[in-house]
Amino acid sequence: MESNLIIEKVNEFLVEEFEVEIEEISPEANLKETLDLDSLDYVDLVVAIEATFGVKLVGEDFVGVENFQNFYDLIENKVNS
Amino acid sequence: MKYALVTGGSRGIGRAVAIKLAKELEYPILVNYQSNDDAANETKTLIEAEGGSCTLLKFNVANQEETHKVLDQWSEANPDATIEVIINNAGITRDGLFMWMKPEDWHDVLNISLNGFYNVTNHLVQKMLTNRYGRIINLVSVSGVKGTAGQTNYSAAKGALVAATKALAQEIAKRKITVNAVAPGFIKTDMTAEMDEKELKRMIPVNRFGEAEEVADLVAFLASKKASYITGEVININGGIYS
Repeated sequence: MESNLIIEKVNEFLVEEFEVEIEEISPEANLKETLDLDSLDYVDLVVAIEATFGVKLVGEDFVGVENFQNFYDLIENKVNS
Repeated sequence: MKYALVTGGSRGIGRAVAIKLAKELEYPILVNYQSNDDAANETKTLIEAEGGSCTLLKFNVANQEETHKVLDQWSEANPDATIEVIINNAGITRDGLFMWMKPEDWHDVLNISLNGFYNVTNHLVQKMLTNRYGRIINLVSVSGVKGTAGQTNYSAAKGALVAATKALAQEIAKRKITVNAVAPGFIKTDMTAEMDEKELKRMIPVNRFGEAEEVADLVAFLASKKASYITGEVININGGIYS
């Protein structure tokens, strides 16, 4: 799957499920702060990713994921591996 | 549809809890059991006689692979179903003096009571978190709270489950999932059938063994929406033997 399509799909479910404005999302923006995530909210991310892309993430996958670009890269790697 | 799962639900306290949840909270019940088909079928019949619905799930909670396989198969066959209540009741005793305790008696008891809790609850909790509601109730024992001579293995397993209850309760409370433990004393079940009730009841202030149904009443309350503000608690139900 191409990067642009992944980004589009990710942003779509983030706006829908995390009540964030699309303008707040940028590759450099901090994922946790922008989405106001606490540790349990990662469960919702994992479920949304699984439903959208059919790939399973575990807690360890999020190590090093700071901004949205890291997050897109993580999903792209999983989807295309 | 929303379900309640009772591990070790074919006999004793587990059976009483399964019947009570079906009757009073109207949950369709998933009864887990390890080997006693006759007892499990009897539990199913009793639940259905009360107008409830029961599905039997045969697996050993101590076996992670088997536990996941059976639960996943059930989930795949019931894609719209969610398990809203988990009653971790499966447990065994292998009593004896600690100095002579065989490794298998130590490990078997911990594997079922403690690892069984992990194998079942860990596998189901993610969906519960997503649903933002749930009840997890762990059946422990007075042995896990005060310790009992001759039950170092059982006391260790149940004591660990008490600690796990408190920790998990804090971790997931925000998602409207409560986690509590119920600690019965001497209750009339197969597990206490060999005990001398006449002799033992002397040390129980209420002066009798408890009934499985009395424990089930407490569990049903904790499993209800009325108990939304109770979490991380260990509630003794022991006729006053320890408080």
